[in-house]
Amino acid sequence: VAHVPTAPIGAPAGGGVAEFREEIERREAVLVERRAEVARGWGDKYIGRVHGKGKLTARERVELLCDAGTRILEVGTFVNHGVEFPGGLRSPGAGVVTGFGQIEGRWCVIIANDNTVASGAWWPRTPEKIQRAQTMALRLRLPTVYLVDCSGLFLPEQSRSFPGATGAGHIFKMNSLLSAAGVPQLAGVFGDCIAGGGYMPIISDRVYMTEQAYMVIAGAALIKGAKSTKITSLDIGGPEIHVHESGCADVRVPDDRALIDSLRAEVCRLPTSGADFYRGGVGAASPRFADRELASLLPPDHREGYEAEQVLARLCDHSLFWEVCPSVGREMICGVGRVGGLYAGFVINRQGLVDDPLRPGQKRPAGILYRGGIAKISAFSRACNDDGIPLVWLQDISGFDIGLEAERHGLLAYGSSLIYTNSTNTTPMFTVLLRKASGAGYYAMAGLPYDPVVQLSTCLSRLSVMEGRTLAIATYNTKLDDDFEIIASDPDEREKIADGMRDVEARIEKDMDPYVAARQMDTDEIVRMSELRGWLAALVEMSYQSPGHRRLKNPRIWSMHDLDLLVGGDR
Amino acid sequence: VRPVDRCFRRLFIANRGEVAVRIARTCDEMGVAPVFAASAADAGAPYLEGREVCVLGPARSSESYLDVERVVQAAVQNRCTALHPGWGFLAENPVLAALCEQHGVSFVGPPAHVMALMGTKNPAKRAMAAAGLELIGGSDGVLASVDEARAVAAEVGYPVLIKAEAGGGGRGMRVARSEAEIESAYNEARGEARGAFGDDRVYLERLIEGGRHVEIQIVADKHGAAIHLGERDCTIQRNHQKLIEESPAPTLDEAVRRRTLAAAVDAARSIGYVGAGTMEFLCDADGVLRFMEMNTRLQVEHPVSEIRSGVDIVAEQIRVAAGAPLSIDQGDVELDGHAIECRINAEDPADNFRPAPGLIERWETPAEVDGELRVDTHVSAGYTVPPHYDSLLCKVIARGGDREAARRQMIAALGELVCEGVPTTAPMHAAILESAAFRDNDYDTRAIPGWPAGGS
Repeated sequence: VAHVPTAPIGAPAGGGVAEFREEIERREAVLVERRAEVARGWGDKYIGRVHGKGKLTARERVELLCDAGTRILEVGTFVNHGVEFPGGLRSPGAGVVTGFGQIEGRWCVIIANDNTVASGAWWPRTPEKIQRAQTMALRLRLPTVYLVDCSGLFLPEQSRSFPGATGAGHIFKMNSLLSAAGVPQLAGVFGDCIAGGGYMPIISDRVYMTEQAYMVIAGAALIKGAKSTKITSLDIGGPEIHVHESGCADVRVPDDRALIDSLRAEVCRLPTSGADFYRGGVGAASPRFADRELASLLPPDHREGYEAEQVLARLCDHSLFWEVCPSVGREMICGVGRVGGLYAGFVINRQGLVDDPLRPGQKRPAGILYRGGIAKISAFSRACNDDGIPLVWLQDISGFDIGLEAERHGLLAYGSSLIYTNSTNTTPMFTVLLRKASGAGYYAMAGLPYDPVVQLSTCLSRLSVMEGRTLAIATYNTKLDDDFEIIASDPDEREKIADGMRDVEARIEKDMDPYVAARQMDTDEIVRMSELRGWLAALVEMSYQSPGHRRLKNPRIWSMHDLDLLVGGDR
Repeated sequence: VRPVDRCFRRLFIANRGEVAVRIARTCDEMGVAPVFAASAADAGAPYLEGREVCVLGPARSSESYLDVERVVQAAVQNRCTALHPGWGFLAENPVLAALCEQHGVSFVGPPAHVMALMGTKNPAKRAMAAAGLELIGGSDGVLASVDEARAVAAEVGYPVLIKAEAGGGGRGMRVARSEAEIESAYNEARGEARGAFGDDRVYLERLIEGGRHVEIQIVADKHGAAIHLGERDCTIQRNHQKLIEESPAPTLDEAVRRRTLAAAVDAARSIGYVGAGTMEFLCDADGVLRFMEMNTRLQVEHPVSEIRSGVDIVAEQIRVAAGAPLSIDQGDVELDGHAIECRINAEDPADNFRPAPGLIERWETPAEVDGELRVDTHVSAGYTVPPHYDSLLCKVIARGGDREAARRQMIAALGELVCEGVPTTAPMHAAILESAAFRDNDYDTRAIPGWPAGGS
C-alpha cells in the first residue's frame, strides 16, 4: 500500500483537569519569568551601555535578523543558570544566544554573543553551548549565522574553557566541519573579536564588518607602545585593514542595522526550503484537539497515569495517526503522523496498566520497557531511519523491567540492540522528556547521550538514573525487609534510618529539577506544554529543508509498510 | 452537463435525503456510479430504490453519517475513488477531508488544510482581510487584557460582542452594550470559555443587529482558476436557519456588488480554494458587505445560483475533484433574471415549528419547467420522514424576469404543492411572499416578514 493509513486518534478532553492545569501554569509562570531574566542579560545598565555606543544588543540583532512575526526558538537558555563565578559574577545564557530562526523563510541556526554580559565574553560552557548549536546545524544542514561581538575568554576561568576536547578551539573545528559538509556559514562582526575568536568569522563563507568592528590576534592592550602612539584595536584590525588590505573580511557596512539587512540578503541567495515539496500538496493543519490542552492533560505527579493517545492527538495534524504494530508491545505506541503537513515518526510510552501478554487476563504497569516493546521500537526506529522519516521520542519512562523474568528474556541484549539502532541512525531524531526519564529507559529512548538533534524538557521533566525513593531503598538495603519497611524496632534507630532515607530522596528530587539538567547542558531547552507542537513542527520542517544530504524516501517505498504487514497485516 | 472524458467511476455519497438525490442526479448525467450511504433508519427509503447502498450503522447519526472512520471505510470498501460529503453532517469536517486524502479517496471539496483554516475564526478572517474583503470591526485577533477590550470597543463602537477563540455553539460569548458592561462581559466570556474549552482566549467584534445576510457562490479548480456565480440574499431566517433565498440580492448597491464579487474570487484563489464554496457577509446599515465566514461546501440554496447561471455546480465540483479544469470562464457566466428558493420542511409553522416526522400519504409537486421552475426532492408518496434528521422535504426554485415575476411564479407553485400526512412550512412561505414587507424589502435578519412568530 502506498497510502499512509492514518486514523483518528484521541478524544475531546473538555479542557482537561483544572488542578493539572493550575500546577503546570504555576510552574510555567516560573519558566517565563526565568526566560525573561536571562533575556535581560546583566541588566539595563549594560543594555544602556550597548545602546550608548550606537549598537544593538544581541537579542535585538537576532530579532531583526529573523522574519517579522516569526518565533525564535532558543536552545540553551538556561546553560549556567544559577552558577556563580569568581567575584559573584553570573553568566545568563552563558553569554551567548543560540537558536533556530527563520530568515527569508529558511530555518537557520543563529549564534550571537551576548554583548550585555561581560561584552560577549566566553565563560565555562560557552564553547560547549556554541558547539551544540553548530552540531544541530551540521545534523540538519541549516545555514549558520554568527553575530560576533566577543571580548574573548573570561580569563579568570580560562582553564575551564580553553584546553579541553570541547574547549573554545573546538568551535573552529566545528566551523571547519560545517564548511566541509557544505553548510553555508555567514558571519557579521559587530564589535570586538579578539584572539582565537577571529577564526570563527573567517572560516565563514561571507564576513561582514561594521565600522565599530575589529578582528585581532591580540588587542591594542598587548601591543608595546600602543598607548604613546594612541593606536587602538580598531586601527590594528578594523574594516580598513581586514576588508581592504588583508582580505580577512568581505564587506564593510556602516552599522548594525545595515549589517543585519546584508545578512538577510545573503540568506535570500541560498536555496529555499524543500519542506513544501515534501508536503506533497498537503498543507499544515492544527490538530483536531487543541494542543493547548496538553497543559491540562499530564498529571504533574509522575506516579499518576494518563492516555498517551491524547498526547499524540494534540501533536499530529488533524489528530490523525498511523499506529504501526499496534498488537505487539502494548506498553509503547509507535507510528507515523503529519506535523505541519510533513511526516514524522513518534514513539511514546503508554501509562497506567496494560495487558500482560504472558499472563492472559492480568495487567502489568506501562511506562516500563519489556521485551515486546523494546523489539517493536527498535524495529520502528530502524524503519524510520531506512525511510528518512524524522523520529520524535516522547519519553515518560520509569526504566527497564527488572527481575528474573526480565533477565531470562534477555532485556540486556534487546536493550543493547535498541541502543545500537539509535546510535547508528542518521535520520534526524528529537527527544522530549514529557515527565519521567529514568535510568536506562532514558538511554534506550534516545536520550541526549544518543545524539538526538535536539532534546526538550517540560516543566514536569524528571531526569535521573533512578527516582529518589528507589535510591533511598538501595542505599538502606540492609536495614529494610522484603516490603522495603525498616526492620529496626528501636524508635531512635528507626528515626535515624527514616531521616537518612528522606535526605537521599530530597537530594535526588532536587537534582531532577529540569533547570539543573538545562544548566549542565543535559537537556537543550525547557519548553511550555503549549509550545511543544510548535517546536516539533519547526524541527520536522527543518529536517526536510535541505534535500540531497540524506535519504528521504517517498511513502510508496517506505520499509515501514513491510514492517506493519509482517507484524499484523493480512498475508 | 458537459461529459468529462475521464472521471471517477464510482462516487460515494456520504449523506442522505434530498442532497444525496441531488448529487446522484448529476452523477447519473456524468456517467459516474453513485454509491449511497444510509443509516438503518434510511435503508429502505424509496429514494434508494434501484441504487447501490451501503448501510453505515444505526439511525443515530453519531454512529452512521457522522462517523468519519466508518464513512471512509465504506467508500474504500465499495471501491469508490471519490467521496461527496453533501452538506451538514461531516461536510465541513477537515478530518474527513484529510482522512480521504490519506486513503486515496478524492474528497469532493477543498484541501483539508484550507477547510481547517476557514474553520477557524481569527485566522480565517485575517486571510480574507489580506485578500481585500471588509471585516466586521473588532480586535486584531485575541485580546490581551480588559483594557485592550475597552480600547477596541471605544474605537468600533457599542454594542460589542466578546467571543471565545476556541469552540463554538454560542458558549463563551457575551454582549456589552456600554463601557460599564465591558469588564464583566470580558471576564464572564473568558471564564465560560475556560470552563468549556480549557482555553480562555477571547476576541471582540462590533455587534451588528439586524442587517441583511448576503453570500457569494464561488467555484474554483486545482489549476488556479476561480469564478463566482453571483450572490444570494438569505436574510429570511429562523434561529439561523435559512428559509428563503434569492438572487440577486434585492437591496444591494451595484458598485458594492461588483467590487465584493471580484474580491471574493481573489480571496478564494489566494487561499488555494478548490471546489464549491460560499462566503457569507453581513450587509450593515452603511450597505457594506462584511465577511463573516466561509462555508467550504455545497450549500442547500445552490440551485438559486444554478437556475440563474445555467451552471451545474455539483458537476463542476466533481470535475475539479478529478483534476479537470472548470468548464467555464467568468466571461461565460450570465446571470439571468431573478430566482427565489423556498425550503419546505416537515414542521408545523403554526405550532412553533414543531418537527412533524411521519408517513407522507399523498405527495404532488408542481410541474418543472426548464430554467423557470425546479423542484429538488427525495420524497414520494409512501415516504416516511424519519425523526432522527433534518426534516427538509423539498426545495422549490422559481425564476422570473424580475423579482415580482419570480415571486408570483413561486406563489403559484406553492399552491400546486400537495403534501398529506405531515404538516409543512409551505403556508408560511406563501404568507411571507404575499406580505407587503417582503415585497417592499422592509425586513432584516431579526424578524420574518409576514410571519408573526419571530426571526432568528
